[in-house]
Amino acid sequence: MNAGAQAQQRMVVAPKARWVEPRQSQYLTFMLSAEMFAIGILRIKEIIEYDTLTVVPMMPECIRGVINVRGSVVPVIDLSARFGRSLAPVSKRTCIVIVEVGAASERQDVGIIVDAVNQVLDIPATDIEPAPPFGAKIRTDFIEGMAKIGGRFVVILDINHVLSIEQTEAIAAVEPGAPAAPASSADRMA
Amino acid sequence: MTATQHCNGAPLVVYIEGEMTIYRAAELKQTLLTPIAEGAVLEFDLSRVTELDSAGVQLLMLAKRTAQAKQSELRLVAHSPAVLDVIGLLNLGSYFGDAPVSRPRAA
Amino acid sequence: MDIERALQTFIVESRELLAAMDDALLGIEHTQDLAESVNAIFRAAHTIKGSASLFSLDYIVAFTHVLESVLDAAREGSVKISGELVPLLLSCGDHIGALIDAVEAGQLEADEAMLQLGAPLLERLRAYLHATPLPVTLPATVRSVDSLAVDNDCWHISLRFGRDVLKNRMDPLSFIRHLGKLGTITGIVTLPDAIPPAEEMDPESCYLGFEIAFNSEIDKAAIENAFEFVRDDCALQILPPKSRISEYIRLIEELPEEPAQLGEILVKCGTLTAQELDAGLEQQSRVASGNLIGAILLEQGAVPPAVLEAALAKQHQVRALSVQDARSLRVDADKLDRLINLVGELIIAAASVDLIARRTRNVELQERNSTLSDLVEQVRDNALQLRMVKIGATFSRLKRVVYDVARELGKDIELQISGEDTELDKTVVEKIGDPLMHLVRNAIDHGIGAHDVRAGRGKPARGTVALNAYHDSGSIVIQVSDDGAGLNRDKILAKAVERGLVEPGRNLSDAEICDLVFEPGFSTAEQVTNLSGRGVGMDVVKRNITALRGSVGIASQAGQGTTVTVRLPLTLAIINGFQVGVGNTVFVVPMDMIEECIALSLEDGQEFTNLRGQVLPLIRLHALFDVEGGVGSRQGIVVIKHAGRRTGLVVDALLGEFQTVIKPLSKIFSSVKCISGSTILGSGEVALILDAPALVRQAVMRDTERSGPAARGSDLAGLVPVAA
Repeated sequence: MNAGAQAQQRMVVAPKARWVEPRQSQYLTFMLSAEMFAIGILRIKEIIEYDTLTVVPMMPECIRGVINVRGSVVPVIDLSARFGRSLAPVSKRTCIVIVEVGAASERQDVGIIVDAVNQVLDIPATDIEPAPPFGAKIRTDFIEGMAKIGGRFVVILDINHVLSIEQTEAIAAVEPGAPAAPASSADRMA
Repeated sequence: MTATQHCNGAPLVVYIEGEMTIYRAAELKQTLLTPIAEGAVLEFDLSRVTELDSAGVQLLMLAKRTAQAKQSELRLVAHSPAVLDVIGLLNLGSYFGDAPVSRPRAA
Repeated sequence: MDIERALQTFIVESRELLAAMDDALLGIEHTQDLAESVNAIFRAAHTIKGSASLFSLDYIVAFTHVLESVLDAAREGSVKISGELVPLLLSCGDHIGALIDAVEAGQLEADEAMLQLGAPLLERLRAYLHATPLPVTLPATVRSVDSLAVDNDCWHISLRFGRDVLKNRMDPLSFIRHLGKLGTITGIVTLPDAIPPAEEMDPESCYLGFEIAFNSEIDKAAIENAFEFVRDDCALQILPPKSRISEYIRLIEELPEEPAQLGEILVKCGTLTAQELDAGLEQQSRVASGNLIGAILLEQGAVPPAVLEAALAKQHQVRALSVQDARSLRVDADKLDRLINLVGELIIAAASVDLIARRTRNVELQERNSTLSDLVEQVRDNALQLRMVKIGATFSRLKRVVYDVARELGKDIELQISGEDTELDKTVVEKIGDPLMHLVRNAIDHGIGAHDVRAGRGKPARGTVALNAYHDSGSIVIQVSDDGAGLNRDKILAKAVERGLVEPGRNLSDAEICDLVFEPGFSTAEQVTNLSGRGVGMDVVKRNITALRGSVGIASQAGQGTTVTVRLPLTLAIINGFQVGVGNTVFVVPMDMIEECIALSLEDGQEFTNLRGQVLPLIRLHALFDVEGGVGSRQGIVVIKHAGRRTGLVVDALLGEFQTVIKPLSKIFSSVKCISGSTILGSGEVALILDAPALVRQAVMRDTERSGPAARGSDLAGLVPVAA
């Protein structure tokens, strides 16, 4: 039927609003204790300048507090402390990167404190090596890969794993005030 | 293409020309519904309608219903063959309540 | 057509129908109008079956069909709904409910387990059918409905076009023309009922529906093919010639609700021709205010009575619905939640404007803003009001619990319900069902004694459980009471001592003893009957209610019965909060927990203060939370009261009252005690909401730890000396 044929054609032509999917190979690089790291930009929702945050009492150091992101209350994690290092000192360039973590059923936004964000880079897959079995300064299961940028290797973080809800919950459940919280995760590092 | 209307004695006659289809649906809605007023007597002269589709039919039905709600009288007159065909196909004669005759009444 | 959404509607409506069926079944022994109750049960099963067939959920259709047959026999009176049939029918309803649950979970085919569960039920149902062979011949009565075929050689086609058909450049007329080429359209009714009022009508949307009687040699697939191109854009139903009347009835009942005229419905059914209808209408106008058209058509022998009855029933239902429709509309709960979220944002935004207005000392701005705030407050109240639902449905579900539990325990229980029109927030209603169910179970299980025990005390054999609800100053109060023996004071005390909850020899008031049943670890194996075994202790009930920012108390009079009183906030979304400063951080205390605020006047380090001659234990939030910033010079005490016990929170600044929109905290913080949620201040900063009951518990823990190990680990609010 003519009308029907028209409609079908029309349906094919009708453009569907859809975001241009960012290529998998784009990464944000940022600084943490003078070391460069990268994360895939697919998980990044936004980057905001560090302003004030609300400290949640009786939490381990690496959970710095909560901030208001467009009306939602989002926890903020100190990545440096998460890696068992000292708390990241706050400077003018300190930023909070809001990332979405978790599987489909339990997505949530988490902010991570970084010393400074650098740039968004295209890193071709050929320039990415698998995580070394040892020798990196952080746990290998936190590492998604090693990217070659400007002649040196940069750790691409498996941010979903670093901030996995079970892991952070486990940290949070550690007796408040116990200084061992960040350190204990450091113990486990390869 | 456009509808013209003028007052001719008591009933207000709206002449509808051209196609009553989806392509003119928005304009038609204006044309058909605007003249409907409280207590008025209205005639749609359909003699120059070349084509009528579902969009046109449902607008005519809406006009009829709206007129009834406003206690005004709406008559379809001088149905063109295209209109008669559809009214016959959908058995709408009794809905509009007009004798579906193609002979134009005295204008 | 959006199948997914239609399926959701099917699921929701089926559950409502099942609930109605349960209701009718449970009330069937006391009903005034047995026929109507049986009808209601039948209609529920019948409608679920019909809708399930639309989605090709054949296993649901198959099961429900047998159920329907039994119910049909009940309508005729050849089967009586009483005795063992009631629990069987309830179980069938449960089974259908389980099938619907599976559909919701995405399972659209029957699996072995389902069929196995259904098989014994079907067998028992069939026993009723075989025991009472249906009277096969009852000509010209409604009963013979299934065996009668309509005397008509036409297919019947029911068409409802989707809104976007025209926009997709397809013209319904062309499909009907095409159909005309495949056979003869012997009758057609164009349905304009879906056309909205003129001002709302989108001239480019299609609102038309058609009922067509169609005479042709082609088969069903060929007819469906004619609509191939609009298959996704229209609802199409086809009945073959000489269909059984029951099929037409089904169609009538399934057609979208429209204030259709009886005559039109009959034409739609292809049962009446337009001429017959015209004749009928003519006669009706002659009789004027006399007979109903139904009777007239029947007199003329034009319609089989069963079809007529269905059409009349439909019309009646449509009329009843349209009256209701005019007053209420069904809104997606998500939409309401979004609205309430937005109102929450609005409150936060208004607070921020207010902050700036006061900071800039602009009087005019402050005045205007106060008007705005009043309006926002009204919008808030109205928005929350939208989400208010009556507690009646929750109470009704408990009828079934009472029935089941009473049966299981062999007790005769009457459930009295009052205050079912009391409203509360939907989010609260959803969460209160389980705690109430446990309370009701408990009342029957422990509260009400066996027949002989009751008889010995001169009470009627039939025990009474009463549910009541009412509003009381911003809260809803729900009471579950029984007329049993009441709590046994000595037994409870003995058990509490045995469990180490109370020191032996301590003198407790009746209220304090009653509260012991809410203590964790109080429920005992002795108490756990088969029934409570799947339930939980009262401590869990209490915890659930506390989690809803509510409270629960129990009162008992020996020999007279026990009343459990649950008090809940009307809404969980927005509360009135009191802001306090601790160091540099702002915290919020829910207003309803606060008794008063007083200035701090004591030496450092003291953990108690004297409040009008009473000892008030203090919690220094600054120290507890180890916050940054110096201790303020204008420290104050917020006196909070929970479970009859006061505690003072020492804060660095008292900042005042304001509306607080509760924002959930990430799961990361689930282990944090003393914080129940968060909110956003006018400045955009996040403030944490203090969990007052947890703080009180904390203070009690601290004190009891000091006072000795006997009471360690408990939070016996009532047992710690409040008075010095």
